[in-house]
Amino acid sequence: MSVLEARNLSIHFGGVRALDHVTVQAGEWEIVGIIGPNGAGKTTLFNCITGFYQPSKGKIRYRGKSITRLPVHKRTALGIGRTFQNVGLVKNTTVAENLVTAQHLEANYDPWAGMLGGPSTFAEESRLAERADQLLELLDLSDVASARVADLPYGVLKRVEIATVLATDPDLLLLDEPGSGMGPEEAHALGDTLLGLRKEFGITIVMIDHHVPLVTQVSDYVYCLNFGEVLAEGKPGVVRNHPEVVRAYLGEEPDETDAPAEAASEEYV
Amino acid sequence: MSDSEVTTEIAAEPLDGAAPETTQETEAEGTREMPPVVADQVDDEVAPFRPSIVGWLARGAVWALLAWVVFAIPGNYFSPFELGVSDVGHASKAAIFAIIGLSLNVLIGYTGTISFGHQAFVGVGAFVSAYVIVDMGLEFWLAVPIAAGVGGLQAALLGAISLRLTGLYFALVTLAYGLFAEETLFGITAFTGGEGGKNVPRPLGFENDYTFYYLCLAFLAVVLWVDWRLMRSKGGRALQALRENPRVASSYGINVKVYTMYAFIISGVFASIGGALLAQQSTFLVPETFDFELALIFILMTVVGGLRNRVGVVIGSVIFALLEEGTLVHLLHLEGILDSTIGLPAEFFGLVIGPILLLLTITRFPGGIGQQIAPLAQWLRGRRFDPHAGKVREVEVSDVRA
Repeated sequence: MSVLEARNLSIHFGGVRALDHVTVQAGEWEIVGIIGPNGAGKTTLFNCITGFYQPSKGKIRYRGKSITRLPVHKRTALGIGRTFQNVGLVKNTTVAENLVTAQHLEANYDPWAGMLGGPSTFAEESRLAERADQLLELLDLSDVASARVADLPYGVLKRVEIATVLATDPDLLLLDEPGSGMGPEEAHALGDTLLGLRKEFGITIVMIDHHVPLVTQVSDYVYCLNFGEVLAEGKPGVVRNHPEVVRAYLGEEPDETDAPAEAASEEYV
Repeated sequence: MSDSEVTTEIAAEPLDGAAPETTQETEAEGTREMPPVVADQVDDEVAPFRPSIVGWLARGAVWALLAWVVFAIPGNYFSPFELGVSDVGHASKAAIFAIIGLSLNVLIGYTGTISFGHQAFVGVGAFVSAYVIVDMGLEFWLAVPIAAGVGGLQAALLGAISLRLTGLYFALVTLAYGLFAEETLFGITAFTGGEGGKNVPRPLGFENDYTFYYLCLAFLAVVLWVDWRLMRSKGGRALQALRENPRVASSYGINVKVYTMYAFIISGVFASIGGALLAQQSTFLVPETFDFELALIFILMTVVGGLRNRVGVVIGSVIFALLEEGTLVHLLHLEGILDSTIGLPAEFFGLVIGPILLLLTITRFPGGIGQQIAPLAQWLRGRRFDPHAGKVREVEVSDVRA
């Protein structure tokens, strides 16, 4: 049974068809990569899976259970955790506090009891703080635990974000461009981290990224979206060399001549 | 160049334009280690600061002074301020305003939702408590929980509206609600006694102004405790998260609707407790007390005090409560200077200083009084005196979703 099964998702904003009959699956322990040019509908797909958008057509199943109509926080409770493209953190507080905030569902007491200072809340609070420390250590972030989120560089925040999502105790991790703002070395290290996390927590990961080397490094299966449709899918090596995919990224036929491709690549070097 | 090479090179470039200068050369022999993160953050933890014995004595002396100001002033024990009997009433009013300020802080500060109708929140508490005591003949100790319950309920109603409307529209709804309560709700003679007002007797043992002050202080202490625990538990953290970003909050598993209601109920309960005490403090309760001007003073004192800063809000509320009838001017013996030099009667001093304080807060010190006293507060807690403590780096007043 697949962990995540999004079938025939369609959604449009005004006249724009952001997703058009998109079907995506992720099996147990798999790392699934989603690539595609900007505006291809990758983040929209995530927003449908996590419940920020309601798809106009299609079904989303999580471990066989239909979650198409569930609100966001209930999907989180089921074990779907996500990061955001532009860093989803509480910026005015410290990194450690963010990790405690993210453990909202882990805190085993009533908010009213917590407000009145019930005796069990104190023990529970120190347990949460301890767990936050452990997660930060795991992601090599202990140094910045007491730093304010707003003061940290983007690349570090991307990792802090992964730590906060792990704090929600997910089964399925949806990462929206975890490698953005990172150099190639950092991205490579991130790939290793992701593989390590899968081993450690036994989680399934679906990851959007433009960083194709990172995606090919870690993914078991890759989808390429373009204009709201699945352009290609398969093993990373296959998708990467798929002529349609190459064209979507380049906007040109790859096998015409080498000249335009070369010109384009030089521009980026 | 073969096809596969082309694709690799192209795809290695992040398409969103972030960091296009990263080259393929460095990638090839990239290390597999996580780079160290912000190394300079570590070294200020090396030696935790411990005050010397003199330092502790100095801190103890300041604590004692503060305790003396709070506990002994209404009794005029060795007081340099020479309070008259009527001034003691103002001291209780200051404590009550502090409760109301904390109530508003839950909405504006923690949740980022404004309320222009807080005089109605307070008024409901005052009139319900008065009704329970006078018309139903029940004890004050029963009236407070009943008033708190009703206050929580009406706040929940307004909270339900805030889930539908945001921004300017919700601000207008709170404004309308405040005016409706002032003109219509508090005008119901059977409930409030109408224009004639109501005489509310104080509870047994707290009849005089001196003892009543300590009753208000006790309630303030309870509210402060709850407020402190709130922000140290999951409920308060949920409010912080949903103020900054409701999407992120819900992705943490926080039910945004439920916690918005939670904030409104807490605020309503605090405000009603303040209202119930206010009904006792003035002993004679009339609907005109709860006009829009009062709501503005509540917002002023909370913002000037410093949003999300417990001590700051209390100090701000106390200052505005004492400014209202010129008490602060009397206390500091300033009426001579004000009256003769500037020609300003003491009663109007508040009207001049209030807007000035607000302007200063919004433009220069977004953290309000809480920001100003942060170095002292840190020092009192046994840390080093750091004049830059509590510096607020962004204008926090503007982050109210309204």
